[in-house]
Amino acid sequence: MTPARFLESRRTTWDRLEAIVTKATQGKLGNLTEDELRELTRLYPTVAVDVARARMYKIDPLIQQRLNQLAIAAHGLLYRRKSKPLLPAVWGFFRRDYPRLFRRLWPYMALATAIFAVSLMGAYVATRLAPANAYVFVPHGLDVGDSGPEVTSEDVSERFRQIPKPPMAAGIISNNISVALHAFALGITAGVGTCYVVLANAMMLGAFAAHFANHGLSYPFWSFIAPHGVLEIFAILVAAAAGLRLGLSLAIPGSLTRSASLRSGARDAVLLVLGTVPMFIIAGLIEGFITPAYIPGIIKIILGITVAALVITYLLVVGAEPKVSGQPTAGGST
Amino acid sequence: MQDFDIIETPENVGLQRRLAGIGSRFLAGLLDSLIIALMYLILFVILLSLGLLSTGLDANLADTAGMVLFAVLILVAFLIYWGYFVLFEAWLNGQTPGKRCLKIRVVQQEGAAVALDAIVVRNLLRVVDMQGGYAVAGVSMFVTRKIQRLGDLAAGTVVISEEIQDYAAQYDKKQKLYDSVAPAAPHLASTGIKPEEYRLLQNYWLRRHELDLDARKRLLPNLIGPILERMGTVPENQSLATLEKHLDELMRQARGTDSTVPSGETTTEEQA
Repeated sequence: MTPARFLESRRTTWDRLEAIVTKATQGKLGNLTEDELRELTRLYPTVAVDVARARMYKIDPLIQQRLNQLAIAAHGLLYRRKSKPLLPAVWGFFRRDYPRLFRRLWPYMALATAIFAVSLMGAYVATRLAPANAYVFVPHGLDVGDSGPEVTSEDVSERFRQIPKPPMAAGIISNNISVALHAFALGITAGVGTCYVVLANAMMLGAFAAHFANHGLSYPFWSFIAPHGVLEIFAILVAAAAGLRLGLSLAIPGSLTRSASLRSGARDAVLLVLGTVPMFIIAGLIEGFITPAYIPGIIKIILGITVAALVITYLLVVGAEPKVSGQPTAGGST
Repeated sequence: MQDFDIIETPENVGLQRRLAGIGSRFLAGLLDSLIIALMYLILFVILLSLGLLSTGLDANLADTAGMVLFAVLILVAFLIYWGYFVLFEAWLNGQTPGKRCLKIRVVQQEGAAVALDAIVVRNLLRVVDMQGGYAVAGVSMFVTRKIQRLGDLAAGTVVISEEIQDYAAQYDKKQKLYDSVAPAAPHLASTGIKPEEYRLLQNYWLRRHELDLDARKRLLPNLIGPILERMGTVPENQSLATLEKHLDELMRQARGTDSTVPSGETTTEEQA
């Protein structure tokens, strides 16, 4: 067969496939009729082979390129992961996959918590011993100095009350999610950036706590922080665990290649961090609406701790892994 | 760093795709940033105009409505910042408006359409890549073979160019897939140029802007010299400009001055 004959005999097929690929613009197979779909699956393999034949016949590079492009476009339409409808996928994720993922990645959570606890204690002790140390741990923007001994928890809450609640909650939620996403993304620095985020936040909290304690205001401080803070800090730690998963997968690839390890680490980590979004929404709503409300402090604390306990229970209990030795459960696994 | 990449299909054919360069990716990013800035501007204008509109309303009602709206705007701004790239890439199968303009697309390294989790990974890591005005991304793309920024490496994605590099585009943009194989020069015989010489000349002509000046100065006299000698029209002035003018004239004659589609199998480099 001569190159010319080859072109002549195949051109209708290419035209047809090109028409179908063009119709499925932007990779949406939904635009195609059932017949066209069948045709696509039938035509694509033959055109893929034509790419190789065109190379063999050394036909015009331009045609080769277009043929190649056509085959790539069709390939992209056909080979893809099966996509589930969004809502059932999200439901299944939180009903089963997310708690399992959290339990599987518990060592990272433990590591993040340890870093947090140690730096919190360090900053607390340092500020208790020498009050001026507070300035080391707290960014200059947050002026520690003006909350003198005369400040009560009511005063702190009062400042909060002056800010309208809906924008307050919205601002807190978006800010906290941003912090969490940064803690995750900075994991790409082999975990160093994530550690920094955890360290900075823990030290700030420790220094604040010690600062208030220095003035004998520990109770008002914690009753102000606890309602939303327990869940918020927990969620930040989950995000940090995700960052550590990402960073350590890059730093310590084990038996995988470094890039394969990074990719699988990133897949785990991104799901782990996305699961913190609802936690931050709950914490933000509490912080925006309940923390500044005129409710006795103790009730707020109990509420905050209960909510956090519920979230942690969810993560530890829901979606139990099917037993390896037993019968496969109805829910299925993996 | 290379500008193409081979994917092995299940049909055992290596399909070649062209990777998007740092330049086009940067431009696409710039366009997207401009669109995001425009969105923020619109949010700001909405906020301002509602503030002005509400002056006539009952103060309490306006206050509550205004606060809720303000909260919504904060959330929308947040969604734009973190969601613009994710939502567009998910919706347009790996493209954003900017990428669409530059005809580039995100795909999985293995060649499949980009998956949702990969889209989220690469765009969350954008906050690291964009440090120093995307300097981090730039360095990463420069040192990786497949021009990947950190987000791409973690997500296992590459950005490919879908623009067909069309050497003949300047002659006819609308030509069909296989038309270019047709004999391009109906009046070739009358010029006394052999078909293979014509192909060579044409290839040179179409790709001359990709060659550097020294290469052109070296190549062209070798290509066209023997032909001009045969025709007895060797010019006094052997400068590149003069020779290229002669070349253009010859090709016009061969085509009968109208712009039919050129073609060529051999490349200039192979001959050189």
